[in-house]
Amino acid sequence: MNALHRRQFIKRFGLTAAALPFIMGLPSLGLAAPARPRQRLVIVFSPNGTIPTEFWPDATGTNFQLKGILSPLEAYKDRMLVLRGLANKVRGDGDGHMRGMSCLLTGIELFPGNIQGGSDTPAGWAKGPSIDQELKGFFQSREVTRTRFGSLEFGVGVTDRADPWTRMSYGRPNQPIAPISDPYQMYQKLYGQLRDRENLESILVDVRDDLKKVRKLISAEDRRMLEQHESLVRQMEHEVKESERQKLLVGPPSFEDGIADQNDNVPRLSRMQIDLLVNSFVNDMARVATLQYTKSVGQAKMSWLNITDTHHTLSHEPDKNTDAVDKLIKINRWFTGEIRYLVEKLSSTPEPGATGSMLDHTLIVMANELGKGNSHTLENIPFVLIGGGFGFKMGRSLNLDNQPHNRLHLALAHGAGHRIPTFGKPELCTGGPLNLV
Amino acid sequence: MRIREKQISKFGWMALLLMIVAVASTVPLRAAGSAVNGASVYRGMCSKCHGRHGEGVKGKYEDALQGNRLLEKLSRYIERAMPDDDPGKCSTPEAVAVADYIYKSFYSREARARNHPARVELVRLTNRQYVNTVADLFQHFTGYEPFIPTDHGLSGTYYAAKFLMADKRVTNRLDRTVDFDFGTGVPDQEHYKATNEFSIEWLGCLLPEETGDYEFMVRTQNAMRLWVNNDHEENPSIDAWVSSGQLAEHRVRMRLIGGRAYPLRLQYFRMADKTASISLFWKPPRGVEQLIPARNFSPKWGLHPVFVETTAFPADDSSVGYERGVSISKAWDEAATQAAIEAAHYAVDNLDHLTKSKSTDTNRVEKLTQFCTEFAATAFRTPLTAEQKQLLVTDQFKKAKKVEDAVKRSVLLTLKSPEFLYVGLQEQHADDFVVASRLSFGLWDSLPDAELEKLAAAHQLHSSEQIARQANRMLNDPRTRAKMQAILHHWLQMDRVESFSKDEKLFPGFTPEVVSDLRISLDQFLSDAVWSEASDYRKLLLADYLYLNNRLAKFYSIGGNGSDDFVKVTPDAKERFGVLTHPYLLAAFSYTKQSSPIHRGVFLTRNIVGRALRPPPMAQTFNDASFAPNQTMREKVAQLTRPQACQSCHSVINPLGFSLENFDAVGRYRMRENDRPIDAVTEYTTDDGEKIKLTGARDIAEFALSSEQAQDAFIEQLFNQVVKQPMLAYGVEVKAGLRKSFVDSHFNMQKLLVEIVKISALHGLEKPVSSSSKS
Repeated sequence: MNALHRRQFIKRFGLTAAALPFIMGLPSLGLAAPARPRQRLVIVFSPNGTIPTEFWPDATGTNFQLKGILSPLEAYKDRMLVLRGLANKVRGDGDGHMRGMSCLLTGIELFPGNIQGGSDTPAGWAKGPSIDQELKGFFQSREVTRTRFGSLEFGVGVTDRADPWTRMSYGRPNQPIAPISDPYQMYQKLYGQLRDRENLESILVDVRDDLKKVRKLISAEDRRMLEQHESLVRQMEHEVKESERQKLLVGPPSFEDGIADQNDNVPRLSRMQIDLLVNSFVNDMARVATLQYTKSVGQAKMSWLNITDTHHTLSHEPDKNTDAVDKLIKINRWFTGEIRYLVEKLSSTPEPGATGSMLDHTLIVMANELGKGNSHTLENIPFVLIGGGFGFKMGRSLNLDNQPHNRLHLALAHGAGHRIPTFGKPELCTGGPLNLV
Repeated sequence: MRIREKQISKFGWMALLLMIVAVASTVPLRAAGSAVNGASVYRGMCSKCHGRHGEGVKGKYEDALQGNRLLEKLSRYIERAMPDDDPGKCSTPEAVAVADYIYKSFYSREARARNHPARVELVRLTNRQYVNTVADLFQHFTGYEPFIPTDHGLSGTYYAAKFLMADKRVTNRLDRTVDFDFGTGVPDQEHYKATNEFSIEWLGCLLPEETGDYEFMVRTQNAMRLWVNNDHEENPSIDAWVSSGQLAEHRVRMRLIGGRAYPLRLQYFRMADKTASISLFWKPPRGVEQLIPARNFSPKWGLHPVFVETTAFPADDSSVGYERGVSISKAWDEAATQAAIEAAHYAVDNLDHLTKSKSTDTNRVEKLTQFCTEFAATAFRTPLTAEQKQLLVTDQFKKAKKVEDAVKRSVLLTLKSPEFLYVGLQEQHADDFVVASRLSFGLWDSLPDAELEKLAAAHQLHSSEQIARQANRMLNDPRTRAKMQAILHHWLQMDRVESFSKDEKLFPGFTPEVVSDLRISLDQFLSDAVWSEASDYRKLLLADYLYLNNRLAKFYSIGGNGSDDFVKVTPDAKERFGVLTHPYLLAAFSYTKQSSPIHRGVFLTRNIVGRALRPPPMAQTFNDASFAPNQTMREKVAQLTRPQACQSCHSVINPLGFSLENFDAVGRYRMRENDRPIDAVTEYTTDDGEKIKLTGARDIAEFALSSEQAQDAFIEQLFNQVVKQPMLAYGVEVKAGLRKSFVDSHFNMQKLLVEIVKISALHGLEKPVSSSSKS
């Protein structure tokens, strides 16, 4: 256990230094330092920019106040790193929204293509991989960090179309990765085999009974094969029972039936997806996840906030429309509230097989496609980091003064031990990874 | 002993008489006029190698002593060739006696039938049957339309705008393949000059021949979406609607069952890209990547997708010469379970479509239980009993917490039940439903269709005439063609060929494309022979034409008309006769650099002439380096197989193989080999001692066609593969009966198929059982 762990351990459990030598030796407390503590990354996306005046803390440094949009995260201020001054400096084909979305995590231009946005030239897909997939590849390439899926892409209310507005993750140039917006489908992906086994177990006894019955009705010479079959079914019954005591730490969450993928269900779908996300982390099925709310130019109607206007349309209202601004503040606060739910779950779950909570080993990156909706500015993208595990010094508000956001991606990569020299467009990586420690 | 005449007393005469009688009585009375006891001859001279009761002896003659020769021919053979190590030892009367003994005891069909009556056995579904049955199980709900395509190509609709806008439709035409290069812009100046945007939609279906994994590829710099065997509008097989202006190859893999038709839809548009082109390729199993040819397309649109299960099953037992499901193994049980899970998922994923209901319908649960009931009854090929319905459907809906799980469990239980997995559970009480099942598994390797089900339910499917009528109707279903193709592939060992690697220096130009073309050429030939009106078996062996495309015509120097399609070509030189001289088979039965008379000879002996061959007593590899360089292949093989132990089989194999020596390792005709003239004249001895001169392939073909043994071999092969039971189980007179009707029908293969499946269908139906006994 290294020095950092010891300090945190003592602080958290209120132990005196004297008690330590005895406790250290006890394996059951799970204090044996992991070979390398787990690191996880979650990127959460919401569209249409933010309201900067209600978002950015006034002060920088360790002593700062959260404004309206970020206030739901008040209890976790000391785990936050607010990063003002990062800009998406990728130019090239595609309109602001397309580049905001598809260059957000890739940091590289889009291919020229056939999808025409509201302005600028038509474009295709991004020319490079996104940082979540880059890290997934890195983690999967090493046995100590390899998991069954590597990464999981969650969506909430993402429309069922593939274009540069709905895709932010790319495995390779020209290879977008679709988020799974249906929690039942995600459940099936993660736990489908488990359910299959349960279904199988429930019918095997009937199969065996049927074979016994049928065996009596046929001639003696033909019974040999059915007897063999019966014994195989018995074997399978036994094996299925055995495999049910599986290496899953926790069983799958139980979902209510019939929550359709519709606008008004978004709050419930959001919680279902977050539950699945945390659950998948506890069972170590992946180390990287993205959670995408709607899409670039998302037109969700936040009816649960008593807002009947559509999101994107609202975001284009001028600043002097105070009614619209109020609504946008409410909407963005709601997004933060969902992130708070995620943070709470991680913070209250002990890290399996290691010290601290899961939040200590997970870095959440809040992101948006634009800095502000009505101006389509790509400056001051609302990036906020919450959590730990990457070696960054949290509990601060920084102003990075108009740096390309590629440098943030480099910092994430280096924090995970993946020391790549550039990420995305190399010219936008001057200065190397941001120093966030 | 000297008899002293003076001193023979009465006593002496009595003693002499007694002695003579005693001696005479030790000589057994001979049967049928032979002076010799067959049983004791057998014991003395034969049982050492053939076993006490002809069962065979390990290390000597391992096979059972049984066969099809007539008694007279058997005794002549024994006299000439047995015992193996000293043929002269057995005299004529001994040969006659022992032949009679073994013929009656265990050799002949009758004896065998008496000793081990062959019976129709319980079998499980073969892998081919499983895949087809499950596919048709779902098609039962979505609708299946058998059609034999007449047009080839895809129906293309052209629009003078992107996104296929109806009001900008320009034209519709039949495009044979999808391979277009529009250059800098548009299909033609006339219709598209107002805009440089256009789109095209191709609709139709795909007709793959082989079962296996296919890879589809679209090469374009523009936008496209492709659906193959997929009717999910929003989830195409390839979605490249977002293009990047650069030439790209988009791929998707999927499994397809050969011989079926799959819906295919391709949408394409050009917007801002500088140039436009699109080509649609595929790579079939055993094939090379190529443009999908016109013959594999039909413009018929609107077919339903087919469920093709992808679980890999362990290979079926083929040790008796045909695939049979006679054993169960753990690997098979696991595969069958995995396949059942796959089907259960498919059912739930397509529930709305399959049950024609929506999740919000008030009668949804009722529709789902109806579906599960019908699914089980169709799978079991017979109406459900009340008890079965309770177990398979009602109980599952009661126990499961969610309806989707209830459906999954019902499907799982159905597909793991013996009533689904086994064929012949009802053998003891065959009713009309069993008849329907025998017909459909016989001709299609699959479930009865709606028509058969209807007739069975109405108790109109048990007379010979009713059955014949259905069998003839069923010949027109593409599934019969697919099964027949599979049978012929097995007969010609085409299903065992994995790859052809030939020496590139000796055979330049024998590319994978040529091999792929050869297989298609042979397939076309076989298909044409079977499905022409006369369906004449003799054509298979004697037809003097080939199907060739341009590439093959060039390689084999047989004309060439510039066509990429396969056309019937009759070469001027009369060298080619049916399958025996098709380059695909000749190349398959060859080494990398040379022909192989042994492989060819074995194939001809077993598959064409119909003689049994046991495996070689000692395995010998052919090592070319051990022979003198100027020897011909014939000379090398003759030398290699000269030992007595080899000759018992090679005296049969070699003459047949040598007669094809005019064809090299890639099936080209030649007159010389290494500067020596080819000698393909041989003398073949039939098993009753008749000597036949063979000067080439034609002679073999004509001999095979005239030989009853060869006809029987073909008939038995067909019977076994169609019915998947031993022919003897249906009666000793079946073979002769089929041979007679085959000959009388002028060797009509379709008619033979019908006769075979009739025998199977009518089995045990002397007293037809009422089919209304099920509730």
